[in-house]
Amino acid sequence: MRVAEAITYALLVVGVGLEVVATLGVMVMTRVYDRLHYLGPASLGAVLIAAALWVAEGSSFISLKATLLAAFLLIASPTLTHVTARATRISELGDWRPTTDERAEPRQR
Amino acid sequence: MNEWQIAASVLLVGLIPCLWVCARRTFADGLVAVQLAGTLASLALLLLSEGEERQPFSDLALVLAVLSFVGTLLFARFLERSR
Repeated sequence: MRVAEAITYALLVVGVGLEVVATLGVMVMTRVYDRLHYLGPASLGAVLIAAALWVAEGSSFISLKATLLAAFLLIASPTLTHVTARATRISELGDWRPTTDERAEPRQR
Repeated sequence: MNEWQIAASVLLVGLIPCLWVCARRTFADGLVAVQLAGTLASLALLLLSEGEERQPFSDLALVLAVLSFVGTLLFARFLERSR
C-alpha cells in the first residue's frame, strides 16, 4: 500500500508540474507559434494524472472517466493546435500555405 | 486538504496567467490561452471530484473538455475571418 501511495504522489506531482510548465511557457513566450509548443505538455500531464487516479483507485468509475478525458485530450489538443496555427497564418497572411519567400529560404523561418 | 485538492488548487492558480494572456495579448495569443485554460479547468474538476469523494461529478470534467474543444474551434473560425 505504501508503494502504491508513493507512485500516486509521484505521478500526480509530475503531471501537475507539466501543467505548470505549460502555463509558464504560454505566459512567457512572445509569438503565437512559440506559445503553441507548450500545449503538448498539458495533454501529457492529463495522461499522468489519469494514471495517478488508476493507481490510487484501481478500476473504478472515476479512473474510467479520467482515462476517457486523457484520451479525448490526446486527440483534441493536437487538432486544436493545428487549427490555431492555421487560423493565425490565414489572419496574418491571407493563406496558410508557404509564401514565396518561405519557399526560397526555408531556414530563416 | 488532501493531495487531490492541493493539485486542483495548483491547476486553478494556473488559470490566472491564461486570463492575463487573454486580456493583454493579441486574439491569436488569447486563443492559445483559452485552449490551455480548458485543459486546466477540466483536469481541476476531475481532481476536485476525487478529492471531495464525489465521483459522479467527474462527468463535469468530461463535458467541459468537449465543450471547450468546440468553443476553441469556433474562436479559430472567427480568427480566420478577422483579417
